[in-house]
Amino acid sequence: MSSELIASAPTQLDFEQIKQIIPQRFPFFMLDRVIDIEPGVRVVGLKNLTGNEWFYQGHFPKKAITPGAMISEAVAQAGIVFFHTTKPQANVEVTYLLGSIKMRFIEPVWPGDQMRIEVTPIKLTSSAGIFNAKVTVENRVVAKGEFGMTAKHNHAL
Amino acid sequence: MAQVQNIEKDVRELIADIIEINPDEINPDAHLVEDLGMDSMMALEILAAIEKKYKIRIPEEDLPKITTINRTIELARKYVK
Repeated sequence: MSSELIASAPTQLDFEQIKQIIPQRFPFFMLDRVIDIEPGVRVVGLKNLTGNEWFYQGHFPKKAITPGAMISEAVAQAGIVFFHTTKPQANVEVTYLLGSIKMRFIEPVWPGDQMRIEVTPIKLTSSAGIFNAKVTVENRVVAKGEFGMTAKHNHAL
Repeated sequence: MAQVQNIEKDVRELIADIIEINPDEINPDAHLVEDLGMDSMMALEILAAIEKKYKIRIPEEDLPKITTINRTIELARKYVK
């Protein structure tokens, strides 16, 4: 890999830059910032949870706890950023599909917490990947697992 | 090496676990996609699980060879020293 390539690749993304990569929008946008990108090695994203999140209305009305499904969504979105930054697809619209996910939720995640979502590859091919995911809050692991994702060019759908 | 001797049993169990079928019920020559419902993500999971178990690396080009248990055992043997 040439040094120019490394120098030109972004190592962080702000909210607006993430929006250019992942197709999800409110109420399904689960990354605020990407703080580390090493193409082919790892992506680390942040999600700040406020008591104002839409899902706390129902999960649960008397005690707000972040749904595991939304933690999994944050992990999957970090996976999309990983795929996009590791295998850039210029001028091609790609749909990312979650193929499988196995997560273990170790501690509850509360309003006010900041989730740090780290995704590292187990196996990558040109159009799919299997990843490890680790989610921490203040250096405590709150969730971890594995997931698989495929990238399909839209004309193939 | 014990690991190598057990390839047949280990690969069968590992595939059965991923496609969620009892290992004793799988015909080793049954087609994993047509007969047992394996999808492309499961095939990749099988490849990754074999790599992890034997600490080997199998190239992407070999992914289409995961068609039956016996073909997958052959594939694993090719790379496990």
